[in-house]
Amino acid sequence: MGRTLPSATQIMQQDEAALARFRRALRRSDQLVLDDLFNAAQKHLSAAAYAANILPFESFLLSMLLEEHKEVLRLRESVENLQKRHD
Amino acid sequence: MLAQNPDNLSLPAPQRGKISLVVAPRGVSGKMMTMLATLALHGKVLVIDGGNRFDAYALSRELRQRTVEVYAALNRVILSRVFTCYQMTATLSQLPLDGTPVVILDLLGTFLDESVAFGKRRYLLNNSLGRLRQIAASAPVALWARTRTTPTDEDQKLLPLVLEVASDLWELQDAEVPDYQLPLF
Amino acid sequence: MIEFDGWLLDLFEDEKEGVVLYFMDREGPRWRLTTPFPVTFYAQGESEQLRALWRMLRTLPQVTDIHRTQRMDVFRRQWVPVLAATVQNPVTLQPLIQKVVARFPKLEYSDADISITVRFAAQTGATPLSYCHVVADEATHKLKDIEVLESAWEMTPRPIPFRRLYLSPSGDPNHGRPRYLRVIYGKHENRYLLSDMQNVLVCLRATLKRVDPDLIITGWGDTWLLPLLVEKSKEYQIPLPLNRETGRDILLKKELTYFSYGQIIYRGQQVHLFGRCHLDRRNAMLWSDYDLEGTIESSRVTSLPLQIAARVSPGTGISSIEMLTALREQVLVPYQKQQAEYFKPVADLYSADQGGIVYQPLIGLHRNVGMIDFTSMYPAVMVYFNLSPETILPNGMNGTPVPALGITIDNSREGLVPKALRPLLEKRIALKKRLAMQKVWYPPERERIEHRASALKWLLVVCFGYLGYKNARFGRIEAHQAVTAYGREAMMQAKEAAEDMGCEVIQMYVDGLWVQRPDWSQPADFEALLLEIEERTGLPIALDGVYRWIVFVGSRGNKARPVANRYFGVFQDGSIKVRGIDARRRDATPFVKETQLHLLELLARHDDPFDGLGQAVKYLRGQVRTLRSGKVPLADLLVRQRLGRKLEAYRTLSPAARAAFQLKAVGKEQHPGQRVAFLFTLGKPGVHAWDLPERPDPESVDLARYETLLIRAAGIVLEAFGLDEKELERLMKTDLKQLGLIRV
Repeated sequence: MGRTLPSATQIMQQDEAALARFRRALRRSDQLVLDDLFNAAQKHLSAAAYAANILPFESFLLSMLLEEHKEVLRLRESVENLQKRHD
Repeated sequence: MLAQNPDNLSLPAPQRGKISLVVAPRGVSGKMMTMLATLALHGKVLVIDGGNRFDAYALSRELRQRTVEVYAALNRVILSRVFTCYQMTATLSQLPLDGTPVVILDLLGTFLDESVAFGKRRYLLNNSLGRLRQIAASAPVALWARTRTTPTDEDQKLLPLVLEVASDLWELQDAEVPDYQLPLF
Repeated sequence: MIEFDGWLLDLFEDEKEGVVLYFMDREGPRWRLTTPFPVTFYAQGESEQLRALWRMLRTLPQVTDIHRTQRMDVFRRQWVPVLAATVQNPVTLQPLIQKVVARFPKLEYSDADISITVRFAAQTGATPLSYCHVVADEATHKLKDIEVLESAWEMTPRPIPFRRLYLSPSGDPNHGRPRYLRVIYGKHENRYLLSDMQNVLVCLRATLKRVDPDLIITGWGDTWLLPLLVEKSKEYQIPLPLNRETGRDILLKKELTYFSYGQIIYRGQQVHLFGRCHLDRRNAMLWSDYDLEGTIESSRVTSLPLQIAARVSPGTGISSIEMLTALREQVLVPYQKQQAEYFKPVADLYSADQGGIVYQPLIGLHRNVGMIDFTSMYPAVMVYFNLSPETILPNGMNGTPVPALGITIDNSREGLVPKALRPLLEKRIALKKRLAMQKVWYPPERERIEHRASALKWLLVVCFGYLGYKNARFGRIEAHQAVTAYGREAMMQAKEAAEDMGCEVIQMYVDGLWVQRPDWSQPADFEALLLEIEERTGLPIALDGVYRWIVFVGSRGNKARPVANRYFGVFQDGSIKVRGIDARRRDATPFVKETQLHLLELLARHDDPFDGLGQAVKYLRGQVRTLRSGKVPLADLLVRQRLGRKLEAYRTLSPAARAAFQLKAVGKEQHPGQRVAFLFTLGKPGVHAWDLPERPDPESVDLARYETLLIRAAGIVLEAFGLDEKELERLMKTDLKQLGLIRV
């Protein structure tokens, strides 16, 4: 019906494809970590879509950072708990 | 001038007084967006999309590689999407003759609609092409006629009419155009 | 003087009499009345051209009136001067229009191709199947007066005493010639061997005369039965009064295939009758959803005649309602849609060109989740925010701004589309409330109301899409975009309200939210949230139910990737809801579907689904055993896939395409858009089309492949509870008791 823009999922795929050369040159183990970053960004596709940024990759980067930080907070809490138990 | 172009060649910007025609399959939309990006850097561009081929994100990516003022450039690309041959003809007839470059994506897309009688479609196409000639007198005009993998009989009857108005012709085959195959989900 | 109360059964144009009408008198008789019915079309454009048109029309005998007048052009948003031309007989309109358009292609035409039932409804208020008071002349049978007693918006219309005749072949003609024809009316059932066609025809003729049905309901009547009967009737010279109207043949509409939005759609052949209605159960759009009652509702509300209402998509119904409203409001109905999108800077496209909000759900099991959704959100947005093609103001004009888009709305008058939809929306909401309030009801009555509500729902569901449809008379992309913009805004406000009240939002999908708060488990708990959302958004919202538990499933290709619409769960009342997985897919194998559903039922029986795992695994083993032993009937192993394109267009053949080739070889052509049924078989070509004349050898069925499909389907259900596909495969191979993990 009149919609021209691809879905957020498709845009992410296009951005992943645009990074193909960069990814290729990475070591295999690093490639897997990069893939993981993209999986993390997957979780916030709806926010990226709603933001309707003309450069969506910026929204994806922010999503990756968001998930990274969640992990940091979680680990921080785990470490604190472990320390408490030790004392 | 017919040319078979390798993958990394870009389409030149159209020039005033001539109609540039690109005859190519769907994958050439990326190159069309690149051409639009070049035009948008310098001023307003009018785009009519006859087949839902406009790739906004490709355009913004291309612009980003050329300027920081992406938003301002995007604001200079003025788009109208048409879904029937009547709409294409009406839209063209209402375009001002003020020298603004005009780019048409998938010109024949709306003319392959079997629910409209062929004679009527041909009449409307000739009408549209006539208008484009008028516009080209004072503005650069670029047309993209999309080729399909299984061309219909009518494709083959209407394309020659478009070929007739073109002064510059770029014809790209399937193999030379990157076909963006998105995975299924 | 003829005077009676009754229902308008059929209405059609006639080149001598104008319009012919068939009525069902509530006392019993059936009336054929006529009335002259002149129709008018309009032309607008440059004065010179209009004058030339006037001169041409003046010379034509079929044109009885030409005059200048004013009409509302909703796309120019003003009254415009037009030339109005009237023809005495409606049959002459189409040929005249062709002539006029060819001669004066630069003029714009309106009201040139509106169906006769819409025109009649606009003039008299009487839509097909409305209950009216009718007065006619005794001698000429000409209609004198018609007054509608029950409008289309009547909540509980009088049931219509149709005389029905059912014609069913004894089997599916696609699978081989049926042996006999079943003929049912009232309490009588007769069977006639189809090998003796003459007998069939003679008996059927007698039946038609005796019963004089209003409805003929068939199986495969459009595609096989009626065309066959008509052909044989000519061959044997035994006239068959399928039409009530004499002097006319039945109307045969040929099959066609067309391309729409990238999909190929196939429409089968159709047989329409005059003076009676023919409904083919196998070819009726949404028959399984809402049956005859819903079709009647659709016909009344849209003013499409019953035979057409049964066969077309709801989009045609919406178009009809819009045209009816336009005629009533003196708004021009454009002949060839020319209104294209306004030119807009691409920068605006990004925020405008979106659909509804679709979240990625949190995959896995969740408990006590409330599902709330806006009631008919898009139609409600269209009606309450006044969104219509003509209420969208061009760039820069003053009006009510639309959230996040660069456009504004003219709220100084009600738009055409909101005006057309408002009664539809209000009736649907009223019916839903009725159904919710009166839980205890005489079941057939409840079912009738549900079917009516369903017909209205379908119309409402498509009206939004229709706003953006390229061939819609009253469509405009910007209006479509404004609707989704308001919709997204409403969803965001709902999410914020939920989070402000301490809920977690598990999932959002266009017009619905799944919300959870640890201490909320009863419907009453969610009341405050519903009120808050209605307050903030101005749109009605309701609680669909509270899930005891719900599982969101990942995508088919990648289980870790969240997908919007694949889930299953159990409500508080024990009922199960499933979306997107095999149990709900039309192309899924019945055996697999049934297994998956039953697994869900086993889990649903316990308050805690984990308690049902043991039974589930035991049941699954039983199903695997049955499959392996060859005891599953072949019909239950059928796969039904759509053929996406013409056979020649396939580069690598899909299973459906391979089956279609098999059918082609025996002369059964399959069209793109049709579903092909087949079995997976061992070796090449790997499929056996079901509609081939010979049944496949049961030994050739690829049972291993079906077992994989079965376990995969079971895995989808049980994975959230710790048993994924791999684990299930392992369990199928080992003895449960030995593991000691699961109590059997």
